[in-house]
Amino acid sequence: MTAETPRTSNVFVVDRGEPKLRGGQGLLAGLGVVIRHFGKAFTKKIESPAESSGLFTVQYPEERLAMPEAYRNFPILLYDDQTGHELCTSCFQCERICPPQVIHMTQASDPTTGKPVPAVAEFIIEYDACMSCGLCAEVCPFDAIKMDHEFELSNADHSTMTVNKAGLDRPISYYESIAPTMWAEVRDGAMKKLQGNMKRRSGDIGIAPPMKGKVQTSAPAPAAAKPAAPAAPAKPVAAVGANMSDEKKARLEAIRAAKAAQAAQSGGATPEVAAPEASAKPVAAVGANMSDEKKARLEAIRAAKAAAKAAQEGGTAPEAPAPEAAAPAPEAPAKPMAAIGSNMSGEKKARLEAIRAAKAAAKAAQEGGAAPEAPAPEAAAPETAAPEAAAPAPEAPAKPVAAIGSNMSEEKRARLEAIRAAKAAAKREASNDES
Amino acid sequence: MLKTEELQINIGPQHPSTHGVFRMIVTVDGETVIDLKPVFGYLHRNHEQLAEVSTYIQSMPYTDRLDYFNSMANNFGLALAVEKLAGIEVPQRANYIRVLMCELTRILNHAAAVGFMINDMGAWQTPLVFAGREREKILDLFEMASGARMMCNYFRFGGVVRDLPPEFMPLLKQLMQGLPAFFDEFERLLRENEILRLRSEGVGILPKEVALSYSVTGPLLRGSGVPYDVRRAEPYSVYDELDFDIPVGSIGDVYDRFLVRIAEMRQSYRILQQVIERLPDTTGGHINPSMASIGRQKALRPPPGDVYARVETPKGELGFYLVSNGTARPYRYKVRAPSFVNLTPLGDMCRGHKVADVVVILGSIDIVMGEVDR
Repeated sequence: MTAETPRTSNVFVVDRGEPKLRGGQGLLAGLGVVIRHFGKAFTKKIESPAESSGLFTVQYPEERLAMPEAYRNFPILLYDDQTGHELCTSCFQCERICPPQVIHMTQASDPTTGKPVPAVAEFIIEYDACMSCGLCAEVCPFDAIKMDHEFELSNADHSTMTVNKAGLDRPISYYESIAPTMWAEVRDGAMKKLQGNMKRRSGDIGIAPPMKGKVQTSAPAPAAAKPAAPAAPAKPVAAVGANMSDEKKARLEAIRAAKAAQAAQSGGATPEVAAPEASAKPVAAVGANMSDEKKARLEAIRAAKAAAKAAQEGGTAPEAPAPEAAAPAPEAPAKPMAAIGSNMSGEKKARLEAIRAAKAAAKAAQEGGAAPEAPAPEAAAPETAAPEAAAPAPEAPAKPVAAIGSNMSEEKRARLEAIRAAKAAAKREASNDES
Repeated sequence: MLKTEELQINIGPQHPSTHGVFRMIVTVDGETVIDLKPVFGYLHRNHEQLAEVSTYIQSMPYTDRLDYFNSMANNFGLALAVEKLAGIEVPQRANYIRVLMCELTRILNHAAAVGFMINDMGAWQTPLVFAGREREKILDLFEMASGARMMCNYFRFGGVVRDLPPEFMPLLKQLMQGLPAFFDEFERLLRENEILRLRSEGVGILPKEVALSYSVTGPLLRGSGVPYDVRRAEPYSVYDELDFDIPVGSIGDVYDRFLVRIAEMRQSYRILQQVIERLPDTTGGHINPSMASIGRQKALRPPPGDVYARVETPKGELGFYLVSNGTARPYRYKVRAPSFVNLTPLGDMCRGHKVADVVVILGSIDIVMGEVDR
């Protein structure tokens, strides 16, 4: 590329031609052009359009032109063909960027806790006001929203142009058929993200309405069939402590051990402290609440986390782990619930907080008072389940935090992972039983 | 003694010859226009105010709707303004793609503008379908690259939204092969046509001084003999690397504008030839890597300041005046729309002509009401 290309910018005056009018030659010349085209119309080689000039009529409803892949008309939502899981996680990016603001969505939440999960409850697009700019499809980090090629939407009923999730959902295979290369570019990333998000959904949350009932909700099964390491309940943490040098290894170890532990119904996966009372009960509770996988998961979390929580649980679940649990956590039973509510912002935040807390004990101690950081202290020891309780019972939360501070950061993280894994295992357990 | 009386009539706002919802209050004495007052605003869509409550990237699809014939050129204007404001570099390849799109836009706009102008003269549809044939092919190319035929929304700050698809260049080259023949044919069809010359020569004369005082731009100004083209007056993008000439008219009547448009199509063809030749050797991607993600686009917060950036759209100088206060939304967003400015001397051009000429003169300005009213 050369910038030194000589450039000219001559100004020239357009030639106006002969000032005097001729006797109709101009008209005839124009007519000649038209007649030539008229003649050509009868000698066109239909079978080889390249050799002919002009455009060909397409007999529209019967024959159609191929759409270019990039063509965009209205947005659609994609879901996985096999499992029916929607790719959308209700991150609200499309709703925010939409210039005419025609996208409306509500985030799905767990029916038991009200905790939001990365899925949409309802997704409405007003097609009548959509201007097909495609920004929503561009902005979607999960490649869940894409632009359709369907354009024959004219309709006598205006209200049908407000389309809900059931009307927007299309299988991935559909999008792949209309835009193969564009989907191929993003497929791997999108599917990876979907796998990650599916783990955090339960029941039929995030299943495309057309697929409901057709698919077993045993989607996150693939990971469940890991080689069970029959480790003793308390061991994982210790093992993790030994393997401290490699954080990743430790985490893996913890997860595997916790899974195995859960599978063995020993329930001791929640490390050290809560073991005795949490051991059998959470699983039992899961069994009782089988109808809802999510509930089961919650049960496990609660039982493992704090007695206070479990005490409240007693109302819903037939077994009341309350008596045992009441002792270690004398806080008001309502508080943990509030803590859960405040944790709502998501696992990611929690994880981030956990890491941060593990890094600096002082910081964690300070943050212990603030709501969203709860998972970290919780994971460390059951007493911290209610960070708000810091005020009435200051010494209780302070200790675990101090312990965290004294412990190595990797260990902390590993322990957290172990707990999380236990939760996941419980959930899996529940879903397996269900199916 | 014959007594004549002035009569005030409305042409528009709903009239096939007004190119949209545009109203002219014409005072006539018999068939002769004594005065003409343009009334517009029927298509006001609050574009500027909307842009002030939207992020910068959210305004991009709305610029498509300004001059809906030339969405690519409008995109260019906003992209240029924001890039200037935020100091974003544009890779060379992106620049060439932009110029390619804008020159294609110029060809399709001028072909359609001439077609519509002659439509207004009464040559119902025939020239327009000739123009429409080439326009159709160009729109197919736009659809392939951007996803939409008219509302392209193709430009992003720092480049364009996606690179040209592989099947684009062969089709473009095929189109380019046919273009010179199209220009010749189009000229042969119309240029010497006696009716066209009778209806356009000496009609709607806009003298140079009047044109300058109204600050009209584009083919209307060049038709009046002023060699002003933003691509040369203030070269943007890679126009300073490209060869092209500026055609000007001599009298400033409707016929000159017609000829200038035809000549500009040929110049655009010249530019396209150069762009196609250089495009494979260009460096950089289709967008500046730092702006490649849409997240960057929407989170763009230009530093406080103001900027005026202008492009030569087929209709004239399209300017965007932006004031940033450092937030994600422009504090002030002003569009200098060429159609709007070019429409203002309509009364001057029409005075003394017959009512039938008003329609032709309006057609020769080449307005799009979406841009006039915004």
